[in-house]
Amino acid sequence: MFVLLRQLQRLRRDAALTAPRRRGSLALRHIDVGSCNACEHELTAVSSPYYDMARHGLGIVASPRHADVLLVTGPVTTRMREPLLKAYESMPEPRTVAALGDCAMGCGVLGDVAALAPPLDELLPVAVRIPGCPPSPDAIAAHLLAYLHGEEPPA
Amino acid sequence: MTPERFTRRDVAPAAWRGEVAAALADGWRFAGLWAEAAGGDGPALRAAFHRHGERLLLAAPAARDTIVDLVPAAGWDEREAHDLHGAAFAGHEPLRALVDHDAPTPQWTVPVEGRDVFQVAVGPTHAGVIESGHFRFHVVGERVLHLDLRLFYKHRGLERAAEGRPVTDALRHAERACGADAVANAIAFAHAVEDARGLVPTPDLARARTLLAELERLYNHLNDLSAICAGVGFAPGTMAFAGLKERAMRLNATLTGHRFLHGSVRVGGSGLAISAPAASELRSALAELRAETRRAWRELQFAGSVQDRFDGVGVLALEDARRLGAVGPAARAAGLAIDARTDAPRLAYRELVPAVPEQPGGAVAAPVEVRGAGLPVGVDLLDELLAAPLEPSVAEPGGASRRDGLALVESPRGQTLCAVALGDGGVVDRLHLRTGSYANWPVLAHVVPGNLLPDFPLINKSFELCYACADR
Repeated sequence: MFVLLRQLQRLRRDAALTAPRRRGSLALRHIDVGSCNACEHELTAVSSPYYDMARHGLGIVASPRHADVLLVTGPVTTRMREPLLKAYESMPEPRTVAALGDCAMGCGVLGDVAALAPPLDELLPVAVRIPGCPPSPDAIAAHLLAYLHGEEPPA
Repeated sequence: MTPERFTRRDVAPAAWRGEVAAALADGWRFAGLWAEAAGGDGPALRAAFHRHGERLLLAAPAARDTIVDLVPAAGWDEREAHDLHGAAFAGHEPLRALVDHDAPTPQWTVPVEGRDVFQVAVGPTHAGVIESGHFRFHVVGERVLHLDLRLFYKHRGLERAAEGRPVTDALRHAERACGADAVANAIAFAHAVEDARGLVPTPDLARARTLLAELERLYNHLNDLSAICAGVGFAPGTMAFAGLKERAMRLNATLTGHRFLHGSVRVGGSGLAISAPAASELRSALAELRAETRRAWRELQFAGSVQDRFDGVGVLALEDARRLGAVGPAARAAGLAIDARTDAPRLAYRELVPAVPEQPGGAVAAPVEVRGAGLPVGVDLLDELLAAPLEPSVAEPGGASRRDGLALVESPRGQTLCAVALGDGGVVDRLHLRTGSYANWPVLAHVVPGNLLPDFPLINKSFELCYACADR
């Protein structure tokens, strides 16, 4: 185990992550409403040692009841429409919906009309849009931090 | 290369079972069953089989009798053909709902009765960054008696959406069925279309695609090992392998401009070019990654608390693996030496031997070992493939063209079948994708009973199946 920890220590040095300059935090609840799984991979990577979003106060929580932000991936299938709305209803106010990736933003969605619900935008108030197919871990963190600190989203 | 031998056998619905039984007796292995819209009453039925690189397509104008008693692995295929295309199968009793979510609970669950039996319903949304799917555990205390899976929450109708579209469009549908198996799916689609058009890859094209497939396997298996460590709460392992996966993905981005290699597989050719200096740079980066992976892997072997948790949990018996049609690392862990890469004349694998653990037992320890042991083999293969620079390449004519194309590709999760039927003007009439995850989900459901409910995440992660490419 010590070898692994040393390896991580070295990795941490090489990655040369900057120290956070500002305070604040966001509790994120992820919900997959029909993604291809690439957005999930990148969202998981945001917590990995190369990005470590926890140092900026960004953390994934296990229930919508604990969340500030509902982080949605995928184009909303008919079958995930209800679980999506239920997750949103379960969140305490104030609550925010973030569309993670092109599908959730309704861009270039692939699929059969009969299997897809209306886009996320028409179902819930979307406040944060993170474009990309999938967005890189850096982009995910940058958009969420811009929202947290009331700044313009990165170009 | 010479194209794989392909036989299409048209059979009457009444002869369907007999033909399937005869094919199995002749040594053909089942690869998938699906329905295809036909002019008459109800859909037509197709089943694909393979035998040492040969392909057999059975085609019936309509469905009539089930084959699940002959081929238990066809269970999900028949249920899907029923739910999505209205095919009926006499003798498949009860034909439980699979894709149809409107069916009431008793129609998709198995009744489990007795003293103190209760159900634990989990999902479709889970408590982490996980895809959506529902698990219905029937338990007494913490002991699982039975597991009903309900997937297809992520069903996007990709196959139907691809119908009537040109091949280049349909390719995107096949690729994006799964973000993490995108290369395997896209190669399977490209092979199926090239098979139908009578095209065969040049050695350079085979090399380019094999390279992409192995890069995909590399980052996936690093990811799987990270996830398995997470499944037992071993944070140093989770993070170390997540770091290694990140490095593999950065290599992907350097090479193709996309961390997941999306868009790098084309039909009829490949635009991938690697200059000699780029190839040598990539080789040294891979050698470094190989050394660090080896160190991390060895550490995992010596972490007693981790190995303890891997032992005796989630055992897949060899006979069950064979009977239920398990594929990929899960099947090999059970001692079934199958790997679509050993039978892949369109790719550059040559003499690959499927990696089976020294002590196949099917418990979680075994699939972990299949991946861990497979990593250096994969990197060595990549090193070999990068020995010469790569130029853009094309597929060349090598056989007669026909309507149907079949392809089998080994994705990180197991054998993936892609079947296409091409219509007039080169549009896709039917696209069917049966991925490694699709084949293994029912196997997982079979393995879980008898284990403890809290061990499910670990067992699930030892299979590391994808929901997106099963649901499509």
